[in-house]
Amino acid sequence: MAGRATAISAAVAIGLLAIPLASRAVAQTVPPVRTPVISPTVAAAPAAAATGEVRPETVESDVSARSVAITAAFSGTQIVVFGAVGQSRQQSAESGLYDVVVLVEGVTAPLVTRRKSNVAGLWINTESVHFDRLPSYYGISSTRPIEEIAEPAVLDTFEIGFEHVRMMPAAGQLGVSEQKLKDYRAAVVRLKEKESLYVRNDYGVAFIGKSLFRASVSLPANIPVGPVTANVFLFREGSFIARHTAHVELQREGFERWMHSFALEYPFFYGLFSVAIAAFAGIAASAMFRRGSH
Amino acid sequence: MNIYLPIAEMSANIFLFLGMGGAVGFLSGLFGVGGGFLVTPLLIFSGVPSAVAVGTEAAQIVASSVSGAIAQYRRNNVDIKMGVVLLSGGIVGSIIGVQVVKILRQIGQFDLFVSLSYVTFLGIIGSLMLIEAVNTIKKARAGKAVSARRPGQHSWIHGLPFKMRFHRSKLYISAIPPLVIGAFVGFLSAIMGVGGGFIMVPAMIYLLRVPTNVVVGTSLFQIVFVTAATTILHATQNKTVDIVLAMLLMIGGVVGAQLGAVAGEKLKGEQLRALLAILVLLVCLRIGWSLVAHPADLYSLSGVVGGH
Repeated sequence: MAGRATAISAAVAIGLLAIPLASRAVAQTVPPVRTPVISPTVAAAPAAAATGEVRPETVESDVSARSVAITAAFSGTQIVVFGAVGQSRQQSAESGLYDVVVLVEGVTAPLVTRRKSNVAGLWINTESVHFDRLPSYYGISSTRPIEEIAEPAVLDTFEIGFEHVRMMPAAGQLGVSEQKLKDYRAAVVRLKEKESLYVRNDYGVAFIGKSLFRASVSLPANIPVGPVTANVFLFREGSFIARHTAHVELQREGFERWMHSFALEYPFFYGLFSVAIAAFAGIAASAMFRRGSH
Repeated sequence: MNIYLPIAEMSANIFLFLGMGGAVGFLSGLFGVGGGFLVTPLLIFSGVPSAVAVGTEAAQIVASSVSGAIAQYRRNNVDIKMGVVLLSGGIVGSIIGVQVVKILRQIGQFDLFVSLSYVTFLGIIGSLMLIEAVNTIKKARAGKAVSARRPGQHSWIHGLPFKMRFHRSKLYISAIPPLVIGAFVGFLSAIMGVGGGFIMVPAMIYLLRVPTNVVVGTSLFQIVFVTAATTILHATQNKTVDIVLAMLLMIGGVVGAQLGAVAGEKLKGEQLRALLAILVLLVCLRIGWSLVAHPADLYSLSGVVGGH
């Protein structure tokens, strides 16, 4: 019975998944060749802006899928964040006047990081740091490495980059020195990168025309369920110009949703249900095989 | 083909877990053991969080032992009164065990505790079984008669108060030892994700001196109810029972068990026990190795348990 429910939700999932991972190849674009030569019109632009003739640039963006369904068949998905620079002053996609950073963040949650040390020959968790909130998923795509786009102070302000995202120990912890915090932060980033939950794609944003850009971001199967935000930052010559935020709803659907809410909201009945299924499966199996053997 | 597990919150290969259930089911059919002590470590090795592995395995043990318990009951091989006493202790042990799991998860020592429990119990049981099986094989070769059970003796256990009469087992003993044994097995069931037959059966034979013909049936009877209670407790206290994962293991398990039972008829009892002992010791060594080997990364991440 439950098997059929799984099959149905699997079929639903295929319809609901915005862009299956198979289309990843399409999204991989060659990093644009950056030309150091600035065209005359571009060089003239700031002067024009100063006279008030040209309005400042803006940025607008959206995501290919407003909602992603987590069903029994969910094995990760790919979303495309696209947008446009308003009042773009670059001549073509290759001009490289603007830098765009696309930051996709999963739901923030507290996290415990533990460190093992050798106690009497055994590797045991001996130290820990509780972080009060940090993004469960953090994907950065940019037109070029973020260190080249802006100064560290600017990146700190907007929490762009693994070293710049806010990651503070929860209150009430003693003995968390600067060095220890640094080590633990590095460990969080390293472990999250290993799980594909912290991802960095240095040339992941590509301009398609003088104002249109896109980035494809893959959300792995282990991404924690919850709202996902896509922040788009527009930079020009190292300074921040504009940002825009879009949202993706990541939620359980069908069988997964039913099971998960059943387990969390009615845990006692879920437990009884699990036992009933197990008992039924055991009795049915023995009855079936007994009949088969005669 | 992958399936997203709703409680473990991971995408997993269906055939991996069907195969795992099948392989362990085959072994349990072959050796006549529950197999929980193999499934739980295998689940942990394959990336399932250890608390989910333990909680889910409890549900699978219900499935794998219920049919055996019913068959034994039909043959009148269950001492219900003894079973209920063991079970009462077992549920208390399970309640304590589930709370211990909750606390250990909060302080980040659950994995260590599970590993240490496995190394200790598998090491002891595996060594004892191997010694016993090798001795039996040697004696059989020497042509001596093999006695399965030592003659009954009165020990300190028979001097305890609160005596009860267990008609089916033809025993008149204190209720305290079965309660304590039941509680201990219930506790292990909750923290290790096992049925506990490997402790219960020898304890009933050697400590309580229950006749061998009712030992297996009574042990299965109490395992079904204790693991059922453990499943409900894990589901309510720790929210770590993944029924989708449990069902994959059950499906593989029932098929494997039938094949194993057929294969088991072709091997001798003591050879089977020696093989099982070697298997138990291998699992013990593998878990022990993960405790002493330098970890690939000293750091680990976990969510905040009991937050929300």
